[in-house]
Amino acid sequence: MTTGHAMIELHNVTKYHERERVLDNVSLVVDEGQMLGLVGPGGSGKTLLLKVLCGLVKPDSGSVLIDGVDITRISPVELSDVRKRIGMLFQNYALFDFLNVEDNIAFPLRRAGGMGEREILERVNELLERVNLPGINYQFPNELSGGMKKRVTFARAVIAKPPIIFYDDPTMGLDPVTSSKIFIMLEEFQRTQRTTSICITHDLLGARDICDEWAMIDEGRLVFRGDLSAVRASSDPFVTEFWDGAL
Amino acid sequence: MIGGRLLALMEQLGGMSVLAARMVWGLVTLRADRTEFWRNMYRVGVKSFPVVAVTAVLVGAITVIQTGQVVAEFGATSLVGWGTSFATLREIGPILIGLMFSGRVGANNTAELGTMVVTEQVDALRALAINPIDFLLAPRYLAIIIMMFMLTIIGNLMALLAAAGTAYVLLGVDMRLYYASFAELIELWDFFSGIIKAVGFGSAIALVSCYFGINTSGGAVGVGRAVNSAVVASAVSIFVLDFLLSAMLP
Repeated sequence: MTTGHAMIELHNVTKYHERERVLDNVSLVVDEGQMLGLVGPGGSGKTLLLKVLCGLVKPDSGSVLIDGVDITRISPVELSDVRKRIGMLFQNYALFDFLNVEDNIAFPLRRAGGMGEREILERVNELLERVNLPGINYQFPNELSGGMKKRVTFARAVIAKPPIIFYDDPTMGLDPVTSSKIFIMLEEFQRTQRTTSICITHDLLGARDICDEWAMIDEGRLVFRGDLSAVRASSDPFVTEFWDGAL
Repeated sequence: MIGGRLLALMEQLGGMSVLAARMVWGLVTLRADRTEFWRNMYRVGVKSFPVVAVTAVLVGAITVIQTGQVVAEFGATSLVGWGTSFATLREIGPILIGLMFSGRVGANNTAELGTMVVTEQVDALRALAINPIDFLLAPRYLAIIIMMFMLTIIGNLMALLAAAGTAYVLLGVDMRLYYASFAELIELWDFFSGIIKAVGFGSAIALVSCYFGINTSGGAVGVGRAVNSAVVASAVSIFVLDFLLSAMLP
């Protein structure tokens, strides 16, 4: 359910990498409470787009507004404040090697301050239960399987209950059963917290029913935007070929 | 070709200067993470102790072996204490401990930071609104300098004890004679001169390893390349600094 308030806005965003245009005049609006699925071939600029959205990469032109604040024109301190409202699930887990699972998940809350250690640990344990990984608090990332790492990364991304979450291929390299569990978690979190999210995925079948709308990107250009019925109705060969078998 | 390389070198030196300024600013403004600092003090210092101890003991023993023959030939065994202590405190101790430290701590630091960069852990920190310089780099920078300073003091002491022991066993130089020669001829400044060098070497190792680590790109191959560059640059920095400090210090 969306409120109609634009939470994420990209206006004519262009980014070059060594003279090659890797994002080409991308404009996109995501309303509060909406979950947008972002799909496209490998190397089309999806991950880069997410990094631009959370201010990790600065575009060469265009503007990026997060809840009305243009993050391309603010100071590092102000950008830090905006980032505190964003959760990010990285494609390659990005769990901190030197911290155990409990410390990894608790990290955003401990750094933010303002919450007691007991409360933080309660929240960590509650999330570990929720992602079906109870009791692994003291294991280190190198002791976990890919699926477990993804679920721990998910727990870290959502522990501070950010109003905006970016998921970068949350099911990449996972078996169908684990993928399905992760999508159920995303859907449940989306439903209960009413976050605004963008989810990059290649698992169209798994994500089909949890995203409100879909955007397709190809060679840095946004080539499609619409809901599932628009996907079905599309006669664009790029869209139909990409979705072939997932509808 | 030469112009390109010179430009790249200037770029690296400029990048290191900016990074050094940012790390020092993080330390001065107390924004550097304290937990990370203590974790690195343990990782860098306590865990390096065995390798530094072995290096120091061997440095002391080798110094006596190398000078022993000449000393015995001239019958100047009373000067063994002064000769080995002077060389160890001023030059050999800090240099060899610095090189061992660079190989163990510097390479490890670059590899760890480089891996964090290529596995997006540094991006994850930034996405969590945490400045990687204050959280990751500044604590390591300070921990490496402090530990190089402390390990050099301990290493010097161990090298001198090993030298005295070796002089006694190989040359029959009485321990009291060794100590008398040391106490009479070695000045406090000889000790401080080596310590100043050690702090300089520690600072260079810390800066170079952090710089190459945080600027890693290109996956696992890039990490290997960064470690290689850091080890070479650290060794070169140690010798350049040694030359400059030897010329400057009395």
